[in-house]
Amino acid sequence: MRILRSFGLALCILAAGGVLSLVLPEYHLRLLNLSVVASIAVIGLNIAFGYVGLISLGHAAFVGLGAYIMAISTTRLGLSPWLAMPAAVAATAAFAVAIGLPLLRLKGHYLALATLGLNVSFVIVASNWLEMTGGTNGIAQIPSFSILHHAISDERSFLWLALVSLTLVVVVATLLHHSRYGRALISVRDDELAAEMTGIDTTRLKIMGFAFSAAYAAFAGCLFASHVRFISPEDFSYAHSINYLAMLIVGGEGTIVGAILGSVLLTFLPEWLRFLGNAYLALFGLLVFLVLVFLPTGIVGLRKFVRGPSRVDRSVQAAAEVRP
Amino acid sequence: MADFFQLAINGFAIGGVYALAAIGFVIVYEATGVVNFAAGQFVMFGTFAGVAALVNAQLPWPIAYAAALFAMAAFGVLFFLLVYWPLKLSPAVTVIIGTVAISITMQNAALLVFGSWPVRIPSPLEGMTVEVGGAVVSVHALLTMAITALLVGGLWFLLHRTSFGIGMRAVAQDVQAARLMGLKVGRVLAMSWVLGALLAGAAGLLLGPMWFADVNMGDPVALKAFAATIIGGFGSLPGAVVGGIFVGLSEVLGASYISSAYKDLISFGIMIGFLFVRPQGMFGEKIQDRG
Repeated sequence: MRILRSFGLALCILAAGGVLSLVLPEYHLRLLNLSVVASIAVIGLNIAFGYVGLISLGHAAFVGLGAYIMAISTTRLGLSPWLAMPAAVAATAAFAVAIGLPLLRLKGHYLALATLGLNVSFVIVASNWLEMTGGTNGIAQIPSFSILHHAISDERSFLWLALVSLTLVVVVATLLHHSRYGRALISVRDDELAAEMTGIDTTRLKIMGFAFSAAYAAFAGCLFASHVRFISPEDFSYAHSINYLAMLIVGGEGTIVGAILGSVLLTFLPEWLRFLGNAYLALFGLLVFLVLVFLPTGIVGLRKFVRGPSRVDRSVQAAAEVRP
Repeated sequence: MADFFQLAINGFAIGGVYALAAIGFVIVYEATGVVNFAAGQFVMFGTFAGVAALVNAQLPWPIAYAAALFAMAAFGVLFFLLVYWPLKLSPAVTVIIGTVAISITMQNAALLVFGSWPVRIPSPLEGMTVEVGGAVVSVHALLTMAITALLVGGLWFLLHRTSFGIGMRAVAQDVQAARLMGLKVGRVLAMSWVLGALLAGAAGLLLGPMWFADVNMGDPVALKAFAATIIGGFGSLPGAVVGGIFVGLSEVLGASYISSAYKDLISFGIMIGFLFVRPQGMFGEKIQDRG
């Protein structure tokens, strides 16, 4: 039943995206593409934060690592993007396991600051390792994906690639959520000690969740690199990590729909506020703050006004109460 | 050797500023349990309060500094009422994202008011230098060290020798018990935000003549203050001081002796190293059940 709903959601995404791809002008298509790519990263963050409860302020570093591996292997080694992408995803996941082994012993704000430090360090290395990353000049002319010699380079066809990727990611994440493994992940967030008592290897699960989340981030990074076709360290600064977390919390943590809604909303919001000129970022911060205060369960929490609190709301609330 | 001495003084001075910023952050964390990601913007506001009073209003400097600090104290109260209070029952992550969102607002509000052009605040000791053992040292750097020491000493006195400070530490230990003892918890929490804002303001005023006043200066300061806090020990005042000076020294000495491009990586590398090996930092965290 649950699985059927996830396929329903996937179909909705494809249908909505398909309609939008026909009616939206080029510039809005570009924003839509950016928001779809961001939602893939945020669904990944949802695994680490929404399911396992790991506060990561370094998600953009994993997006960047994937993007850089993709960019370097396609421009330097001439690898096809289709080959470079799985390599980038696998390498980033392996890196997450290696860094997660010592890092994930930390909890709460220690983990938040450690991942923040990781992100800052990533940007410093990417800005200064000139031979490899081109420093702050970045890497240009990253090739697009192509199918049967047709390059997916314009916004409209990229949207289809992004939407298919998103539906794939949504289906995998939903299967994960409702699998034995997914329930174990959530039990680690809700009560680590109790989870351990039932025989769950919490350390291993946390590292697996972290690696999964990094793999999603790297996937988003590869799509970003082939979409924008130019990357520089600034694209992956810790401000982006915070933005991903804000997208997840504004949308509704612990839910896939929330991750997508939050990503779309926070990508388009600066655009809708553009008429305010220089004041728009000031108002943006204020609006995010107001959502946190008045909609603690995010936009998906609005559902309860339509038809009483759902199971998801209650589990999110219960988790919020349990967490110190 | 003279070079080294000069660099060390500069490292101590900038480290003193980081220490003040870190203490402002730690005081708030200790009392309220809030990890304030807007701490860097507090320092930036301090610098720009100085810009408004010294450069724009052309006030004489004792009045200007007093006015700037008064504005920071008022800002602390405002932040307590408008940001802390609405979020005080929210989970830790919501508070983190909330303070980040407000820090975006603060940064861009400053951009709207002061523009993106960097300004330089003159120091009352502008251009004054002394020669110590062949090294030319700016008096402002020496004064920064002295003021940092004075503020840290004053803070220690406040927290350990006055009934108000002891009340504050009681609230940090156990809010419920403090309330049962008849302490006005709300007032104590508000005062901790005021103290945090004042320390950040002092850091900002001292930093003004060393760096340019720039609306984007908050983030780098915040990152250094976080690194200082972790290295010294989360929630520890002596830790924040030692950590801040450590970060300042490693930044200045690292830039000239190791690599100027990777100077920031040194402090963050050490911070991450501490997190791996000794997450409680040099001085350890006394209160375990926070965060």
